[in-house]
Amino acid sequence: MQSIPISLAAPEMILAKAVKTEDGKILCGPGVELTAELISRLSKSGVHVVVVKGHPVQMPGEKSLAEMIKELEERFAKVKDDPVLRALMRLIAEHIIEEAKT
Amino acid sequence: MDKQDQGQKRQDIRHRLRYIKSLPTLPPIASMLNKMVEDEEMTASRLGSVIEKDQVLTSKLLKMVNSSFFGFPQRIGAVSNAIVLLGFNVIKTLIVTSSIFDVMQSSDVGLWEHSLGCATAAGIFAKRHGLKNPEEVSTAGLIHDLGKVVIRAEFTKEYEEIQNMVKERGISMREAELECLGVAHPEIGGWLIKQWNLPDRLILPVIYHHNPEDATDFRDIAAIVHFSDILIRAVGFGSGGDKWVPPLDHKAWERIKMGKGEMKEVLNELDEKIIELKDFTLRMQQTKGGAGE
Repeated sequence: MQSIPISLAAPEMILAKAVKTEDGKILCGPGVELTAELISRLSKSGVHVVVVKGHPVQMPGEKSLAEMIKELEERFAKVKDDPVLRALMRLIAEHIIEEAKT
Repeated sequence: MDKQDQGQKRQDIRHRLRYIKSLPTLPPIASMLNKMVEDEEMTASRLGSVIEKDQVLTSKLLKMVNSSFFGFPQRIGAVSNAIVLLGFNVIKTLIVTSSIFDVMQSSDVGLWEHSLGCATAAGIFAKRHGLKNPEEVSTAGLIHDLGKVVIRAEFTKEYEEIQNMVKERGISMREAELECLGVAHPEIGGWLIKQWNLPDRLILPVIYHHNPEDATDFRDIAAIVHFSDILIRAVGFGSGGDKWVPPLDHKAWERIKMGKGEMKEVLNELDEKIIELKDFTLRMQQTKGGAGE
């Protein structure tokens, strides 16, 4: 699953999450395959970001899983002796890994 | 800096805040509204119609109330509906802080995102804990770091020094603020919103978001804002000025603690909302550029 700007969306990508308007109205459900026409319609409706299945786009400055975990650990550097926060860090790490798999 | 110097500096800062120049002060409409709410016969629709005379403010306000951190399933199209749904405290806060948000959006997108993220997380926790006004708790989250905007805009020289201290010595922004100004952002933000006559249920959580148990009241709201700040930094959305997760107040945690399963649900919920928030901040920035506001 990857969150990408609509400008990088391309036909044949599959939506992993529903696309909503600013008012929260659902424009397109998950599982729908994007077409050129659909992308242009979504873009005209003011959609900026879509979440698609897999990992179709290599974004500039994008981080690898290892980098994300390393940064997570760095953010927790000052509180690593706190058992509650350590548990929170582990939970977020699991969450990042699970998200990367889907 | 010795104690006497520190006290003097604190006084100076407080004084300067009263005559703040670079930050927009309370818009005239806010003080007018203050008087209006004192009138017991005032209705939401009459209040709404006063606010709606200011179109720019109305459009800003509706954008904010329709953004994902309040999470209403339907679009709110009129200010009077927003007053009924969100309560006057929230609307007033959004009005008096809207100009500050403009400053944040253009000068510090990272802090803007951090604030929106904290508001979102605070809303999630407030709902889960069954607090009566979750939107108000979100609003407290939204303004918790207002003091940082003030420091950046009003104390430019000191702000630079603070940033250097964070970078060179690896200390937190709050520690650097205390060392450099004798007072840190929670207190500064608190002073400012006190001047705006916002209620204590918003002021206290802002002042005590790093030490919620010291608050004389509304410790539950302060605890939620405290942990929301921690969580949004922990997941790495936005930037609070330094990269570190701040220390946890364990007594506050006792008030709001949750198990692993529930925390996982919160992380999933937060993920969804962060995607919407990214969309929201992009939209806000585009409208800003487009309309040349």
